[in-house]
Amino acid sequence: MKIGLEIHVALPTKTKLFCSDSTEEAHEPNVNVCPTCMGFPGSRPTLNKEAVRVAKSVSIALNCDITNRISFIRKVYFYPDLPKSFQITQLSECIGKGGFIELEKKKIHLRRVQIEEDPARIIRSEGHTLIDFNRSGIPLIEVVTEPDITTEEELRETIFTLRTILYYQGIDINQEIKADLNISLGTERVEVKNVTGIKNLISAAEYEISRQNAILLNNGKIEVETRSFDEKSNTTKSSRKKESDEEYGFIFEPDLGFYSTEDLETTPVEMPTRAAFELARSHNSSYKTILELIAFDKDALGILYKYEKKYDFKSLIATLEIAKRFNETKDANVFEELLKLVINGIAINQETVNKIKKGERIEIRKFSKDEIDAAILEMLKAEKDIVKRYSKNKNVINFIVGTVSRKYGIQPRDVIKRVEILIDTLQKVEV
Amino acid sequence: MRSYISEFESKEKPKDYYTKIIEELKRKNAELNAFNIINDEINSGFPFSVKDNICVNGVESTASSKILKTYTPPFDATVVEKFKHNGFSFLGKTNMDEFGFGSFGINCEKPAKNPINSDYVAGGSSSGAAIATALLKYHIAVAESTGGSISAPAAFCGVVGFTPTYGALSRYGLIDYANSLDKIGFMARSAADIRTVLKQCTGRDGKDTTSSSQPLTDNPKAKLTVITELMDKTDEKIKSAFLRFLDKIKSLDYKIEYVSLPEIEHSIPAYYIVSTAEASTNLARYTGFKYGFKVEDFSKKYNDFFTEARNQFGMEAKRRIVLGTFVRSASVKDKYYVKALKIRRLLINRIKRLLKDSLLISPTMPIQTPKIDEVKKLSPTQSYAMDAFTIPPNFCGFPHASFTYDYLAGMPIGAQIVTDQFNDYAALSFIDSWENIFDYKFKYNIGAL
Ligand SMILES: [Zn+2]
Repeated sequence: MKIGLEIHVALPTKTKLFCSDSTEEAHEPNVNVCPTCMGFPGSRPTLNKEAVRVAKSVSIALNCDITNRISFIRKVYFYPDLPKSFQITQLSECIGKGGFIELEKKKIHLRRVQIEEDPARIIRSEGHTLIDFNRSGIPLIEVVTEPDITTEEELRETIFTLRTILYYQGIDINQEIKADLNISLGTERVEVKNVTGIKNLISAAEYEISRQNAILLNNGKIEVETRSFDEKSNTTKSSRKKESDEEYGFIFEPDLGFYSTEDLETTPVEMPTRAAFELARSHNSSYKTILELIAFDKDALGILYKYEKKYDFKSLIATLEIAKRFNETKDANVFEELLKLVINGIAINQETVNKIKKGERIEIRKFSKDEIDAAILEMLKAEKDIVKRYSKNKNVINFIVGTVSRKYGIQPRDVIKRVEILIDTLQKVEV
Repeated sequence: MRSYISEFESKEKPKDYYTKIIEELKRKNAELNAFNIINDEINSGFPFSVKDNICVNGVESTASSKILKTYTPPFDATVVEKFKHNGFSFLGKTNMDEFGFGSFGINCEKPAKNPINSDYVAGGSSSGAAIATALLKYHIAVAESTGGSISAPAAFCGVVGFTPTYGALSRYGLIDYANSLDKIGFMARSAADIRTVLKQCTGRDGKDTTSSSQPLTDNPKAKLTVITELMDKTDEKIKSAFLRFLDKIKSLDYKIEYVSLPEIEHSIPAYYIVSTAEASTNLARYTGFKYGFKVEDFSKKYNDFFTEARNQFGMEAKRRIVLGTFVRSASVKDKYYVKALKIRRLLINRIKRLLKDSLLISPTMPIQTPKIDEVKKLSPTQSYAMDAFTIPPNFCGFPHASFTYDYLAGMPIGAQIVTDQFNDYAALSFIDSWENIFDYKFKYNIGAL
């Protein structure tokens, strides 16, 4: 199986790509418009440098070669959402070429990153269709991957990784992601166009995989075609059979000429993936766990960097998981207090967090041997079969220790010392 | 040197001056089809007309196309804004070949007629601009050229027509034909008037990325180069008149040199490939539902809907859309469009070399002014061949100007002078010196004081 993606991402600029209209969400349709983004005769595009700058930063983050002299092309097709009946986009002189998205175990190679304008929004209702040009001319980048994705899991990881890289570039694409999906289980390529949202993208892929699988299992032939995704039924439908490639009649966009990107200053790129790799390696920890913690939380990464040398890394990760649950990664001091409590085996709840934030001291209670034994025994009684499971799999001890220490706030190392002894005694009694 | 602008400013105008002009103009217009719109409200200032493919705020701008009927842009073209700012007064929108597609001014609803003899063409595509300049004594025409649309009508109507370096003037507000070739320029009764308005309009405009901040120069050249391949294409009567003209020019201390430039043969096909490729994308936006001609039946499928709108295009527009769409289609793009771009690069280099130490001179048109009935019989390729002399400087973005150098049987004949990029004023200076030894004849002097 081979999957390639074309992912469209809106760039966070104040104004549109080729005019000075606002990109902000408007309360009314057709208010952020001007002759240029409406395609009026006589109007002309002028390039938004900030959009190019952001696109350059993203391209660097995606390991692309940066094109020093970019140009644009006209992609001609007739559709009511396209005011000029051509889209200004990029092809051979696009901002980024090559590059890759680094997953945990492989690289998804990229063909290119291109800058282009968003068409208008089409609003379909019963009996009529409306067009809102507020969206027309919003700057987008399109990230085009090679068909390197070979499993559904890789598809998820690719999207997740791209999202976190973009997040660190100041672009949050949680909902706005729009993508075309090229997917082939056999030799023929099927394109699913205009899928909006991550959930739908995964569903579209899942459906396409099972659809194409079923055809291949019945010795059928998969047709080269363009399909669209139907959100209601979670299926894809054929929208166009392809006899030949689509004809867009690309020509150079003469109104924009060439633009030098060399002097555009990009902000230094912080790569969540690289950070996760390095932290995982130096602390012998899980890449995936770390990446998930920091993916959409720069403060979390800051905390890891701040305390990785001072404290035990496992406790640090455990505390970060807790802190994220309570949404407390902003204040490094609060975090350090939490971390000390975790290291001392104190269970954290909302009350604890509130106390810390008010600057109140949390008493670290000392437990006697009898108290610890009572707590363990209570837990063992409550969880039937736990002793049996333990005798089959010694790792069950982690579960027991975790549960007891969380419930009673007893330090895990004190629990561990007693658990084995107590279970031994219990087993003897049963015999 | 004669400046009609300063002459106008120094003279007293009678109270009903503008009313009289409008009256007379309307009468002549009914016969010659020079204007699409005449501004009744003009009551002061030096009048300027605007080719109908250049936007004037609040005034219908149709590029003489039915598909743009009722299109009223909410903005001024930068050049128009500068004219208004400098105290000129808007007189009206001038007729043209639809979207600039034509060399004779007849590819539109109301074919333009030559003011000297209305059986003859006025030339195109800036037909109305040339007629207006031939009719009015005090007037400047804002026109536009893609492949010769200023030179051709200026020559046939006996006025001075100037096309600047590509990018020397902002194209903001121009309804595009071919963006890499379109230039806004001027027509007037003397080179001096053109110099005045060129100074006011040139320069970088933030609204047009291709506009240049490079200052225009006036570097004279003592040598005039004649390209022999162009002379071979010239009608015999024109040729002998042109040779007589060259003799007279020698008296102004110019040296004449003949050179062969075989590559110039490729300029017509290469020009038509690039210009139609761009034009076909520019015309794609006319789909009949946001401005201009509106399709009434909104229940139609989109493909049928915009197809109905696009039926409004004239035959020549349709031809260029088909041609342009073909030459940029994937299977033949390298063979046509890409190759044509290479030819342009090559021609620019060759011609640039000649312009280092000389100006290029040729007749503006290879033929005498034809009759309207004659050109209607021409095939498209015969028509396109009429642009042989105007295409090279237009295709390559060199500034050039056409001016009258003689009259044959009462009809003016024009020559075209070409200078190096951004040496625009040198073309005007050359015409200045010609005007010192030659008097233009104008049949009409509407608005004379
Ligand atoms: Zn806009």
